[in-house]
Amino acid sequence: MINANLKSSYAADERVLNNRYKQAFVYGSILALVLFTLFGNDYLILIASQMGILLIAVVGINILTGYTGLVSLGHGAFVAIGAYAVTIFGNLGAGVIPAGLMPFVSVPLAVALAAAVGVLVGLPSLRVKGLYLAVATLAANFIVIFLIEEDLFAPWTGGMVGLNTNVPNLLGWELDTKREMFGLIAVVGLVSLLAAQNLIRTRVGRAFIAIRDRDYSAEILGISLLRYKLMSFALSAAYCGLAGALFAYFYARILPEQFELALSLNLVAALIIGGMGRTMGPVFGVIIVVMVPELIKVLFGALAGDSAGAGQLRAPLQQIAFGVLLVLFLLKEPLGINQIIDRILRAANRWPFARG
Amino acid sequence: MGQFVQFAINGLMAGAIYALIAVGIVSVYKATKVVNFAHGYLIMFGAYFYFTFAVIVPGQPWAPSWLASWQPGWMVEMRGELPMFSPVAAVLDWVANLPRILLGLAGALVCNAILGRIIERALMRPLMGQSIFAMIMVTVGLISILSGAAQLIWTADAASVPFIAPNMPIRFELFGTMIFLFGTDLVNMAVALLLFGGIVAFVKFTKGGIAIRATAEDQSTAYSMGISVPKVFSRAWVLASTTGAIAGAILATRNGISPSLGLFGFSVLAIVLMGGLDSYVGVLIAAMVVGVLEAMTQWQMGGGWAEIVPYVTVLVVLIWRPHGLMGQKEVERI
Repeated sequence: MINANLKSSYAADERVLNNRYKQAFVYGSILALVLFTLFGNDYLILIASQMGILLIAVVGINILTGYTGLVSLGHGAFVAIGAYAVTIFGNLGAGVIPAGLMPFVSVPLAVALAAAVGVLVGLPSLRVKGLYLAVATLAANFIVIFLIEEDLFAPWTGGMVGLNTNVPNLLGWELDTKREMFGLIAVVGLVSLLAAQNLIRTRVGRAFIAIRDRDYSAEILGISLLRYKLMSFALSAAYCGLAGALFAYFYARILPEQFELALSLNLVAALIIGGMGRTMGPVFGVIIVVMVPELIKVLFGALAGDSAGAGQLRAPLQQIAFGVLLVLFLLKEPLGINQIIDRILRAANRWPFARG
Repeated sequence: MGQFVQFAINGLMAGAIYALIAVGIVSVYKATKVVNFAHGYLIMFGAYFYFTFAVIVPGQPWAPSWLASWQPGWMVEMRGELPMFSPVAAVLDWVANLPRILLGLAGALVCNAILGRIIERALMRPLMGQSIFAMIMVTVGLISILSGAAQLIWTADAASVPFIAPNMPIRFELFGTMIFLFGTDLVNMAVALLLFGGIVAFVKFTKGGIAIRATAEDQSTAYSMGISVPKVFSRAWVLASTTGAIAGAILATRNGISPSLGLFGFSVLAIVLMGGLDSYVGVLIAAMVVGVLEAMTQWQMGGGWAEIVPYVTVLVVLIWRPHGLMGQKEVERI
């Protein structure tokens, strides 16, 4: 834990990882991820990949809700757009673009499309705030999922029955095992986390924070609300689109129902549980949101066996546990796990003197 | 033209039910400034309670037989003399079901009132004075809790529930086209509109209603003038959950019982924002407009497109009027 930072140059002050603890943490986690990718068991790799995909999307929501203070309950739609766009571009361009280059074309296109739709959905954010925005984004989520399911677009999107996805091929390297995919997800996830940490250090990020704290004051200070609110929407939608693209590459098939309201709520819940407006918040939140249903599944399997009746009870229990977690954190620790960790670190640092 | 009228009437009937659901969201918002995202799931609980008391309880072996189907002597006699498909037979069917309908409605009202009260005490009151964001997210968490709990409690496949009014077909000719209506739909509409009017009158004229309006105006001033704000909060939640119980019973007879009833709450939320969160009149207009638009979309473009009508309309209205049709504009100070 840091009590003070001695900075002797501007360069030192402007670094993303501005102290040794952060550097050690980042390099340590890179090492841990490499070792995990090489030696982790298959089940853990699967869980970690789910976490990684969700993490990228939650980092996007964190930019919008945690830093800019705009609430969205519809970001599942952008994950859907990313997933479908990358698959549809992949199918359309199959003969035209060499397979090894395909992800380098289709992923940026999918991310750009998600960002463009994000700007469109963000337009009401200039006129409406808070609750009205939450409902506007909720409406956008329903509309996007409806359009994907609609018969009119079924030749491309597969309609209700979904779409088979492609195996990503990075310059001839086919990522056809979950372990290889996890490697990709881990790299992209880490880069996006660092990019978000870098963002809040810049002019744009500080403008976001100013808007969150008081948007009219920010406007008086010369921050264009139009520009930065839309930029925040576009960035968060782009992150979600990227998560969607990885989602499509990771699973063999995508279905519209995977991206419905439940996903949007999951993303926001992960952010609240982890801690809003903090870089590590999404990481903690995603771990909880993925692990708790998984733990319930394991416990249930140990207690009740694999009978059909147990399966019928498990899904509602997972749902209830999720809701209870969200409510408990809001009631008892609105700043999330990040705050708890901070408190523990602070206490450890001062031990055996002052506590808290 | 006749077809148009048919679909317009269908739309108005759906709109009345939307209005009844919306009144719960508006009442809670007026009193507590919380927008209840989980209101649809309260309605779903109302529907399931109605199902429990109107179908499951009378079906039990210990329940008296008149509860499941009331067949007094005079009714059997009357029924013997009737021709096929006469409207009187529909009325008689309804009378036979009356005991369990009443039990179902009473059970749904009481249980939902208790549920609303528990939610208010356990989740909303500890958050009094916290940020609006936290309160809204608590109702979002409530969505998962309620829908999970409903799946745990009512695992059996739901059977059909009795209509709350005689279900005779009504036919008449208008502009050269036959128009078909069902008696139960008309009664549902009447019940919904009467309840809506009753609640508006309650908020406008009674002492309790004035307390709600005073709290909406300024919480701390209301408190200092001797109004018990926590009591107002719980009254608003009970009001919302009981109207939700009636709406749930009506929806259960129209659409059948399933966990997806909760999704109605979201389209109604869109309607509420369209009308203006704190305006009963605006919400009534918005509900009727959306009901009719949905029916028209169903007529012209097929049933699928009708489900996104509320969401598209709310986006259009919000861009045009950010606080809804008749909502009060918030004054923000720095």
